[in-house]
Amino acid sequence: MESPFTGILTSIARQRGVLAVLIVSERDGIVVDGHMHVGISEDRVAALAASLYKKARLSANAAGMGRTSFLQLEAPKGRICAVGAGELVLVVVAAPSINVGLVRMEMLRAVPSVEAAAGGAA
Amino acid sequence: MKTMVVESWVEGPVKQFVDDAQVDIALLLHPSGQVLAQHGFTRSVDVMTACALAAGIHATGGELGRMVDGRPFKGLHYAGTGRQIFLAEAQSQRGAYIFLTVFGPESSLGLVRLYFAELVTGLTAAAPLEEPTPTPALAEHFERELNRNLAALFGRA
Repeated sequence: MESPFTGILTSIARQRGVLAVLIVSERDGIVVDGHMHVGISEDRVAALAASLYKKARLSANAAGMGRTSFLQLEAPKGRICAVGAGELVLVVVAAPSINVGLVRMEMLRAVPSVEAAAGGAA
Repeated sequence: MKTMVVESWVEGPVKQFVDDAQVDIALLLHPSGQVLAQHGFTRSVDVMTACALAAGIHATGGELGRMVDGRPFKGLHYAGTGRQIFLAEAQSQRGAYIFLTVFGPESSLGLVRLYFAELVTGLTAAAPLEEPTPTPALAEHFERELNRNLAALFGRA
């Protein structure tokens, strides 16, 4: 079943090395929509990534650094990237070999579309 | 804030939940309303009230679920403007328990659900291996046991 976010998710998921793309409510940590490979626990990743993003955003504000644009977490077996889009967070789980620059650009480019789709979905 | 328990085997899983999910209040109780563990309350009367309300909500949700869906509702989430409530049934080999938690903006429903699933697993693993002893909702010694449990938590009757 298609949602207002399907096109955005498919476009990012097409990038080489992307294992999952999730749109998560920042407040609730609940998945709104997602596109993922088998073996990734979407609820778990969504809850933790949204919490991580929220804390990073609050930390940046507290430090007077302004708005958080892009968050990247590096781990031995992969990366988690997140960007805020209004009340939502766009989360990407990727392999270590991913082209981060390309994914970052795609994610930031998707923000207005996510916000618009969220407005339309509301 | 300290986590207080009536039965020692529930302490580890409940403490872990509170630490991980960053909730303000956690309450584990028997469906009859008898408290097993609490975190976040400072007065025994508040624990007693919360237990009675949680048991009532759980019973009402169960009946409502049977009526409209043919099976009892197992969980409830209410989002207030500042704080949220999550109430759900936690099954273990010792029977069913009710778990109530209150959380603010430091946590989220996603985190609470995630760590609640781990709490249930933790309770199942920690439960002593003995036959479950179902207690009637209104046992003969309910009030005495309630007072004993509250005394165990707060150090007075």
